[in-house]
Amino acid sequence: MKHFLFFIGKIILLLLLSASVLDLSYTYIYSKSTTRNKVANVLNSTSKSYDVIMLGSSRANNHFDTQLFVDKGLKSFNYGISGSRLQESALLLQLMLVNDYDLKTVILEIDLNINSEGYSEGTRALFMPCLRSNKIVSNYYEDIIPEFNLLYYVPFYRYINYDSQIGFRELFFSAINKPSASIQNLGFSGLKGSGTNMKYDLSKYSVKKNKDYEFIKDICKAHKINLLVLSTPMCSQVKGIEYFDAINTIYPEVHNYENSVTGDQYFSSCGHMNTKGAALFTQQIINDFF
Amino acid sequence: MFFNSVSFAIFLPIVFVLYWLVFNKSKTSQNTILILASYYFYSCWDWRFLFLLVFSTLLDYFSAIMMENSSTDTKRKIWLWLTVGINLGFLGVFKYYDFFASSFAVLLNGFGLKAHPYLLELVLPVGISFYTFHGLSYVIDTYYKRITAERNFIDYSLFVSYFPLLVAGPIERATHLLPQVKIKRDFNFEKAKEGIYQIIWGLVKKVVIADSCATYANAIFDHYESMNSLTLLLGAVYFAFQIYGDFSGYSDIALGTSKLFGIDLLKNFNYPYFSRDIAEFWRRWHISLSSWFKDYLYIPLGGSKGGTWMKVRNTFIIFIVSGFWHGANWTFIIWGFLNALYFLPLLLQNKNRANMDSIVLGRNLASIKTLVSMLFTFSLTCFAWIFFRSKSIVEAFGYIKRMFSNFHFESQYLNNERYNFELLLLVLIFVLVEWYSRTREEPLSGKFSWIKVTLALIALLTLGVYSDYKEFIYFQF
Repeated sequence: MKHFLFFIGKIILLLLLSASVLDLSYTYIYSKSTTRNKVANVLNSTSKSYDVIMLGSSRANNHFDTQLFVDKGLKSFNYGISGSRLQESALLLQLMLVNDYDLKTVILEIDLNINSEGYSEGTRALFMPCLRSNKIVSNYYEDIIPEFNLLYYVPFYRYINYDSQIGFRELFFSAINKPSASIQNLGFSGLKGSGTNMKYDLSKYSVKKNKDYEFIKDICKAHKINLLVLSTPMCSQVKGIEYFDAINTIYPEVHNYENSVTGDQYFSSCGHMNTKGAALFTQQIINDFF
Repeated sequence: MFFNSVSFAIFLPIVFVLYWLVFNKSKTSQNTILILASYYFYSCWDWRFLFLLVFSTLLDYFSAIMMENSSTDTKRKIWLWLTVGINLGFLGVFKYYDFFASSFAVLLNGFGLKAHPYLLELVLPVGISFYTFHGLSYVIDTYYKRITAERNFIDYSLFVSYFPLLVAGPIERATHLLPQVKIKRDFNFEKAKEGIYQIIWGLVKKVVIADSCATYANAIFDHYESMNSLTLLLGAVYFAFQIYGDFSGYSDIALGTSKLFGIDLLKNFNYPYFSRDIAEFWRRWHISLSSWFKDYLYIPLGGSKGGTWMKVRNTFIIFIVSGFWHGANWTFIIWGFLNALYFLPLLLQNKNRANMDSIVLGRNLASIKTLVSMLFTFSLTCFAWIFFRSKSIVEAFGYIKRMFSNFHFESQYLNNERYNFELLLLVLIFVLVEWYSRTREEPLSGKFSWIKVTLALIALLTLGVYSDYKEFIYFQF
């Protein structure tokens, strides 16, 4: 039995050692990557200057054609991330400011994502490589994530927990510095084609005060950043479309652009415009505000 | 509680310590702690089904004794059929009633008669197919006087409910397992070490191979209408490795866990994808079930003793029943039927025992023939797996039709956000590792074992799928 316990002890030690070495290696490689995703792009860069950036979910990521802003002479980047909630948008903005980004205007997409104060597992994963090395990230998540201690203290646990986003495949592409299409396109991910039989039900959505949005407002106010908050278009068949008006009753500063692009030919799916729709929408925003 | 869960990682060391350090005084105390652990293990799924397990145990235990005490053959036969009937009755109600009721309604509707069957929609008790067959083998062996009825209820209960094999096999035989539980086990370091190696390798098969293949196979099978021929071909291959990694990985963990308690279980897999014909495949795949059907169905039906027609009939019966054992769906029946069809030429030519020797490849013509035979057998198996994996017959035929009519062979981006070909390298490495360890139970023991264990642990950490947790496929059967 003594031999066996010694044998098991060696295996556990080997496991811990492997996990620690892998943790260090993964963290090092991710700390050198700037071209794989928008979070790494912000985390591993400093002192950038932008006239305008966009934050929000896929409805920012797919709807703001950054090149049109650049054509207008505005240095800009679309930091919208598919699936992300305001919680991640707030953290990303905070990290930009800590990394000495000079931002004049932040366009924040607020519509479906203000419905809850939830989080996006997929986007949260992108912050995990710097959980130990970045105080802003660890402080931000310490009170939010119930299993924070496991993620923080157990070597390699964060890479296992979020393996589909920051696992071996992503590490490989980060190591060879393969840029993502979105980063190469100033953060804009245009969608192709027109969807068929598009419908969306917003009747279960309700607008409440959102602490993450309030937090973003406070940050912008403190850093004297012009915050432009707006909602973006939906397809024609939406049940409970009055949700967009309800946003204004709680947050009157939100510019309602839901109906600014009409015609389902401009939509790839009910909540996401295609590149043609995105171009029309972006042009309207530029005309109205810049 | 799954073998690849944190709760099992806590449960197993606790039982191990209690078994070897606290309850190690006698065989009875060892068996008692294993029974308690097994009942706890089983109740983690649904404690209510524990009553079913206990009832099944009591039924088989008393029936065997009554059978042995019976003075006439008629009484023995009555006890046998009563027990078989009740056991299969439970299986029938929980697993097959809804299938037969709805199939019958479809048949009536086909004749223009409107039928609205009453469906039970019961939750299938986990492991019911396994422990029912387990108990049946004991009762049938007692009837045929191959064994004597077990009088010690604790020993018999452990035989039925031993947790490493309780929910997904291997389907044990009383002749193999009962003698082991009837003696006090002493700790054997070498056996326990083998067990740990087997558990680690089983986890690699499940978490690295099966679960990785599952993400691709699911993405392909669930959207087969939009996939090209190459992707559909790869989908079948990925599923072949998913189900192999999943089930043989489970079996490895079961066998390894049992070795920690000093008990050997029946080997369930023997590198089936290196088979040179379908008969050999069935001697290497889910061995405990194949041999169960051979011993308790094929041979009682007459086996190969009758004429050609009898052999063909019996072969089709065991393959179709074997398919149906997996689940109440026509897809499993077709899967079994296809395997019987594959088997038929070998049977008619009397070549079903042609490949009994070990597989050797060298630099000669015979090796090329062997390699081609293996690839051909693997292709047949993959084709049959399409039916096994599909949700319905219509879906399976749709999948096959598209695979053979699309004729596009370019790479495709799947909805798991990966390209269709990305996993091939991992599968190839796995095949090579299996090939070079095909004469052993697992590849980690032997020379350089520490290096191999380290590589296995690193593979588990870096290549394992954890965020998209997948249950063992065979738990649903």
